[in-house]
Amino acid sequence: MKIQIELFGASRDFSDQNFLEFDLKNNSTIKDIRKKIVEYLDKNFRGNENFKKIVNSSVFCSENNNIISDNYKITSNEKIAIIPPIGGG
Amino acid sequence: MLHTKVIDIKEKKLSILEAENFISSSEFGASIFFSGTVRNQNDNKSVLGITYDSHDVLVIKSFEEIYNEADQKLNIKDKAVFIEHAKGYLNLGEVSIIIAVACKHRDEAYILSRYIIEEIKKRSPIWKKEHYQNNDSTWLKGNPIINEKN
Repeated sequence: MKIQIELFGASRDFSDQNFLEFDLKNNSTIKDIRKKIVEYLDKNFRGNENFKKIVNSSVFCSENNNIISDNYKITSNEKIAIIPPIGGG
Repeated sequence: MLHTKVIDIKEKKLSILEAENFISSSEFGASIFFSGTVRNQNDNKSVLGITYDSHDVLVIKSFEEIYNEADQKLNIKDKAVFIEHAKGYLNLGEVSIIIAVACKHRDEAYILSRYIIEEIKKRSPIWKKEHYQNNDSTWLKGNPIINEKN
């Protein structure tokens, strides 16, 4: 199944587009998404450690705008957002 | 009474006057206006401007949660609250956030205003990218959102 990850904050540096897209097995979880993003960073940014740190300290948000756990099962074509460490005001 | 909005700075600027109009009522004897503005220095670096990024839906959700918590945690029932945050590129001195609160008495107005800004810092998904000389820029480190479900 195809999954789109919407990028925010520091994760916007991962791509020129506003999102990343991955092919995942059915019943994949957020944990699998983290792994996929790290693999993508290894391939495209020579494993940039700062970028990996961002992924590991981020939470994720479901299409219906809830912060979700690493065990959350993603449904087909669901749009997920990555929420890196925040700091507004 | 609550007003919340994320303002795209390309469309309009944040306005203290609008905040004042919203919270103004003869019911309340105390009003506090807090505004955050873009500062010219951070971590010994000269800052030229800041780009704000926001997950708008989650931001509004967090503002509403913070407002509702004031009932339970702070026991401040009668209040008017206006919260707006900017997104997009802001120059030095431009306003990034306005929090206006009105309560019956000054004690609760001060407490509520401080509570709202501190909670926004902790949990509203907003990000800052600072811009420096020579087209250099960096996303500020920020604080991870704690997911209680994990």
